[in-house]
Amino acid sequence: MKAINVSFKYPACQDNVLKNINLSVKPGDFVAIVGNNGSGKSTLCKAFNGLIPKSIAGRFEGQIIIDGQDIVDLTVGQVAKKVGYVYQDFENQIVRPKVLDDASYACLNYGMVDYLERGEKALKQVKLDDKKDENVWELSGGQTHLLALAGALSLSPDILILDEPIAQLDPLRADIIYEILKELNQKYKKTIVVIEHSTEYIAQYCNRVILMKDGQILWDEETKKALQMVDDLIDSDIFPPQVTRAAKKAMDKGDLKQGLLPINLHEGYEMFRFFSYKPKKRKLLKKNENESIIAIKNVTMAYKTIHDEANVIFSDLNLDIKRGEKIALIGSNGSGKSTLLKMLVGLVKPLKGDIIIEDKSIKDMKIDQLARTISLVYQNPEQMFIMDSIENDISFSSRVRNIEGWEEKLENLIKRFSLTDLRKRDGRLLSGGQMRRASLAIGTALDPKILLLDEPTSNLDIKTRKEVMKLLTEIKDYTETVIIATHDMQLVCEWAERVIVLHQGQVEADGFRDEIFANSEVLEKVGIRPPQIFHLAKSLNKEALVYTIDDFLKDFEVDYER
Amino acid sequence: MSDEKKTAKENILEFISMDNIKNQVMKNAYGNTDTPIAKIDPRVLMVWYLFFAIVPWFVNDVIFLLGAFFLVLFTTIQAKVTTLVIFLFALGVFSQTGWLLILTFVFGGDGSAIIPLLILTLKVSTVSLASITVFSGMDPDNLAKGLMWMNFPGRMSFSISYAYRILPTLISEFQNILLSYRMRGLAPKSDTFKGKIKYVIYQIRIIMDSFYPLLLNTAKRSRTTVEALEMKGYTYASADDNAKKLKLSTLKIGANDLLFVTFSLLWLSITNLISTLI
Repeated sequence: MKAINVSFKYPACQDNVLKNINLSVKPGDFVAIVGNNGSGKSTLCKAFNGLIPKSIAGRFEGQIIIDGQDIVDLTVGQVAKKVGYVYQDFENQIVRPKVLDDASYACLNYGMVDYLERGEKALKQVKLDDKKDENVWELSGGQTHLLALAGALSLSPDILILDEPIAQLDPLRADIIYEILKELNQKYKKTIVVIEHSTEYIAQYCNRVILMKDGQILWDEETKKALQMVDDLIDSDIFPPQVTRAAKKAMDKGDLKQGLLPINLHEGYEMFRFFSYKPKKRKLLKKNENESIIAIKNVTMAYKTIHDEANVIFSDLNLDIKRGEKIALIGSNGSGKSTLLKMLVGLVKPLKGDIIIEDKSIKDMKIDQLARTISLVYQNPEQMFIMDSIENDISFSSRVRNIEGWEEKLENLIKRFSLTDLRKRDGRLLSGGQMRRASLAIGTALDPKILLLDEPTSNLDIKTRKEVMKLLTEIKDYTETVIIATHDMQLVCEWAERVIVLHQGQVEADGFRDEIFANSEVLEKVGIRPPQIFHLAKSLNKEALVYTIDDFLKDFEVDYER
Repeated sequence: MSDEKKTAKENILEFISMDNIKNQVMKNAYGNTDTPIAKIDPRVLMVWYLFFAIVPWFVNDVIFLLGAFFLVLFTTIQAKVTTLVIFLFALGVFSQTGWLLILTFVFGGDGSAIIPLLILTLKVSTVSLASITVFSGMDPDNLAKGLMWMNFPGRMSFSISYAYRILPTLISEFQNILLSYRMRGLAPKSDTFKGKIKYVIYQIRIIMDSFYPLLLNTAKRSRTTVEALEMKGYTYASADDNAKKLKLSTLKIGANDLLFVTFSLLWLSITNLISTLI
């Protein structure tokens, strides 16, 4: 696969999105394309699968050669047999109701007699063959992604392109995807190109990294060498693995000799082997002794499936939340986090048991009454936009309640969440990070005493993630009690004061950060993966509990005697 | 007494709750793939349906119509159609002619008024139940194949199966948007009778309002879908007959299908015979 002097301009844009790109990918490569938002990564990938310039209008220059043929001479269908593509919003790529039906659909359309066998083969390659007769909407997020991959694989292309394959997945499911990609690469000899933010996965799986900036290729290097260029990467909002950054900082400080930076845990261990653990005193969190603000009492909750069976989410759940707590609710996909949040705002009703908020049972309250005390921000911000502009969305709840001074409050919220330039825009048309900011503003519009956030950092690139993290830290100051459901462990480590682990509808563990993360049994069982730096510290000293690079460098010192 | 009344009210509330309607729709669309009706060859069902959709309009014989009615009632039961659909069917028939029939009974109308009304009601019911059997009892994929076989345009059969694919997504998204309105909006107080009416109007209004964001979100989504369809050869296949032939080649008429046809014919012949004998 080759690109020669490729440039591309979208019709409405002033500048070229791609500027004179020259690139070649060799058979068997596992390439990562990195770069900040708007650097042209997705556009480049769409040029490689023939959608640009065939289905997407714009001014295209240059040449793309696949398998020795100029892409212009091929139809979109012929390209699809050479290059498979999996979108970032992969669920929209699934067009048929049943799993096997979707996996074999392309083969059917291209008139291949053995289309069912091809579909089954593709499902086997992504290890989804036991689900072939299921309805597509019954699959989990990870499985849906694998199905989209199978749909592309069924035409047996030699090249696969995946746009941010793991952005929406918890670490266990992300591992599954990358292990499958690795097998496709090694066993089935596919060439794989991923657009990826997570450098830890890049370090583990990819052999080459291409950095894009402003529509150009800044460099194209082997993974080990690429991850050494820490400054370039951070400049483009890509953060190298924590071990790499820790080593870089230690080298800059003079604690380590200048040299090649480590890119994975093993190399990190080798480098820091001679450091010894001298933990510094940190401010200890005090146990919150306030009165209870939410009490969940013996709650049982179940959904009815379409076969009229009860799908039990919680049975006899008990939980007590104190005024002013900042809680992270963790657990794998499907452990009941979202259901718990929905139950607290009265959107779903428990079958048995009771929920008491501020000494009142929520059974006796209507949803709109509850909304003044407790508010929920959805995982998918699009579903919170019900008006035609951000400012109308934010002020909606105060206006219908005739709350005095809502204009002033609106101005404050717009300032606080830096939405001044966006206030007249329709929420749905904003970028991911902007949407998230707006949804937080909507969620806090009624000054709720309790704020619930469902996965506030999912699907964001690192820069936007940092912005949202900062907002979440600020929210601590003006919202009393906050509960965040998340599988973003960095967020948990840096933000939460109390961590509740849900597993199969039960509270598996509950306590301070250190209590949870020191309990390796729970981590193992529930599939929680602490940040890489935590693992590095543990491998150096079993007692170590370190969550950030800075803490690591403070707690571990060079031991010249060793 | 008051306890019973409360449970009745709760039952009704539960029946019209968003969750239940969602569950019923989903059950109707996806939950009946293993019924006897779903297993019958779509082409056989289509022809069978054409008969019951057309013939009853031209027949005025009460016994024959009764026979046909019981046959389609039987197939509807076999298709395990959900309560929601049955409820809508009953409401539909009643609003068409049923209320006239009942009124005539109540006010002591004689045979001359009742018989024509009964015939009309039977016709409407038979045709509706036959439609319910076929369209609600069939597997969506089979339905698409059946339409394809009858030479309906490929786009139509694709649209049907795509609707089945996207329906759950749309329903849950709709539900979330509706919940946004309910959380952030303010419902009128429903203590007085006037308040209750206002409350119902408010609920209907937010249901209608929720469609607007839903449409916009769907439009946003469709870009990926359109590109993916292009890559999966959707356009290619609509210009090419091979895909259709391939798809239809999986259809086979088996013993079950013949049994179904024979039984239907036999039943109709018997009712016809009885009607000529009387």
